[in-house]
Amino acid sequence: MISKKTMHLSISVVATLLVLVIPVSWIPIDGLTIIEQRILAIFLLATMFWILEPIPIFATSVLIITLELVMVSDKAFFLFQNDGSVANFGSIIAHKEIMATFASPIILLFLGGFFMAIAATKYRLDINLARVLLRPFGSDPRKVLLGLMVITAVFSMFMSNTATTAMMLALLAPILASLEKSDTGKMAFVLGVPFAANIGGIGTPIGTPPNAVALKYLTGENAIGFGNWMGFAVPFVIILLGFTWILLLRLFPPQSATLALDIRGKFLKHWKALTVYVTMGITILLWLLDAFHGMNAYVVAMIPVAVFTATGIVTTEDMKRISWDVLWLVSGGIALGMAMEKSGLAMHIIDSIPFAAFSPLLIVGVATVITIVMATFMSNTATANLMLPIVAALGISLGGLEILGGSKMLILAVTFASSLAMSLAISTPPNAMAQATGLVETRYMRKSGIIIGVVGLSGVYILMFVLRQVGFF
Amino acid sequence: MEKPVIICVDDQREVLAALRKDLAGLTEKCEIEYCESAEEAGEIMNALDDSGETTALLICDHVMPRKNGVDFLIEINNDARFTRVRKLLLTGQATHQDTIVAINEAAIDRYVEKPWQAEELLKTVKILLTEFLLVSGMDYQSYLEIIDQETLYEQLRKRT
Repeated sequence: MISKKTMHLSISVVATLLVLVIPVSWIPIDGLTIIEQRILAIFLLATMFWILEPIPIFATSVLIITLELVMVSDKAFFLFQNDGSVANFGSIIAHKEIMATFASPIILLFLGGFFMAIAATKYRLDINLARVLLRPFGSDPRKVLLGLMVITAVFSMFMSNTATTAMMLALLAPILASLEKSDTGKMAFVLGVPFAANIGGIGTPIGTPPNAVALKYLTGENAIGFGNWMGFAVPFVIILLGFTWILLLRLFPPQSATLALDIRGKFLKHWKALTVYVTMGITILLWLLDAFHGMNAYVVAMIPVAVFTATGIVTTEDMKRISWDVLWLVSGGIALGMAMEKSGLAMHIIDSIPFAAFSPLLIVGVATVITIVMATFMSNTATANLMLPIVAALGISLGGLEILGGSKMLILAVTFASSLAMSLAISTPPNAMAQATGLVETRYMRKSGIIIGVVGLSGVYILMFVLRQVGFF
Repeated sequence: MEKPVIICVDDQREVLAALRKDLAGLTEKCEIEYCESAEEAGEIMNALDDSGETTALLICDHVMPRKNGVDFLIEINNDARFTRVRKLLLTGQATHQDTIVAINEAAIDRYVEKPWQAEELLKTVKILLTEFLLVSGMDYQSYLEIIDQETLYEQLRKRT
């Protein structure tokens, strides 16, 4: 009896080897070089591994980087190097450039976010903020739900969606226990938190890893600053969050009249805690005002890292809690995108499909729908890693897309779509946690998740239209 | 999928039968071994370790003929191969002194008194399994059925 994992592994590897060994002329892409063929094989392997998950998703990223180094870099294994006899060999990639993806500015931006999250949790800033911010929402269950969702969304803009959901569900646990067993409101609360975390992640460049991946493709004239991103993403989050709140109240109206959330604690006041508050405040302010002071978001991200390590607020022991797997998952995506772009493979793939024959609107629609479907069944970040290199090249090569906003618009639409998949427990880690409470019936998550996905996607189209009208693209 | 192993040790078959009943809900995601003596449990743990499988939790009685439970737990605690194994002492007959030794020298994670409440025992076992899954870096998402919510939230909250 072969396990499913072994089968997935062998299918993926065999398919990859097949693409690798066949003569280049058999592949129906014009002008393909040997290097491009190898990168195509790596891309295929990455796709299959990320979809079938025979190995952890971050391991696939590390594998991509390693395979690129061994097969297409200037320090490749000697059998993979050009001995001068192959005409259409293609251009190799510097090994330093591939390795540098581990420490690209985007990764360091995320690292800065992680340091802030560690410091906030360690000095209980997260819980204390939640306590204070929830107070104005009173004890009406409907308002408490709104309060919880707003706080979850705001936190998930700066912390990981998973950690935020874990914290908020922990706060929720006593409320859920106090509600009657038959109270449908339970479902609203258990779904409201993960949905808010998924949606909130869209709000900032560091809100969720797919946004980070998008930054790789938003360079040069397409670059978007931190404050700039929030300028259009936060209104989108607010509107979608409001819709989700109303939807959950309609589907699962709470029956109890009052609901008291009792969070104990008080703000810490010793110098380390104060340093955390001030540093985080300044960092976020500098991020928001990145258009004015000369430092971009990547540079600003190093400030909390330096301050927290110098003051002993984040110790070596704390640093072990950093989710290196998330950073590496993004690095692999960046390396994959870079190889596809530099070798010319991305362009060659786009050129081999007659996209120009389709209406640009249809292309935007299809790309976003494919993204949301993929993200429903697999990691959002892996989806972004696979979709964005193709989409970025498509945006550049397809002249017809210019009227709609070009590649910048397409990249943003696809990135937002990757965060809108939340109809299954496997769609996102926050959804999985909600499922684990045992209070969510699968069909209800599916129903509300699909409605939010459809409405959210329509919202993305409207947002893109508005941004085009105001001349953002 | 890798199945974490729970080892139950008690010299009384009725106790093992009761455990089998109370832990029945975990069998889909866990392997559960029942042993009638500390020696047998030790052998099984050795064999599992040799074949690369992971013992996650040891549920052990104290008063047993030949080697008693606390002595066995101390042995396990001092064995470098089993540093991640969670230890639960399940007994009604440990003296005050035995208990002190169990905490100080065997570093037990939980103490449940016999006779136990099924629900309470299950909750305790889930907490310990969750701790084990998280410290050993296993993918908790594949084990949601055997996970204790609060422990999971507490641990995930601390990650970035």
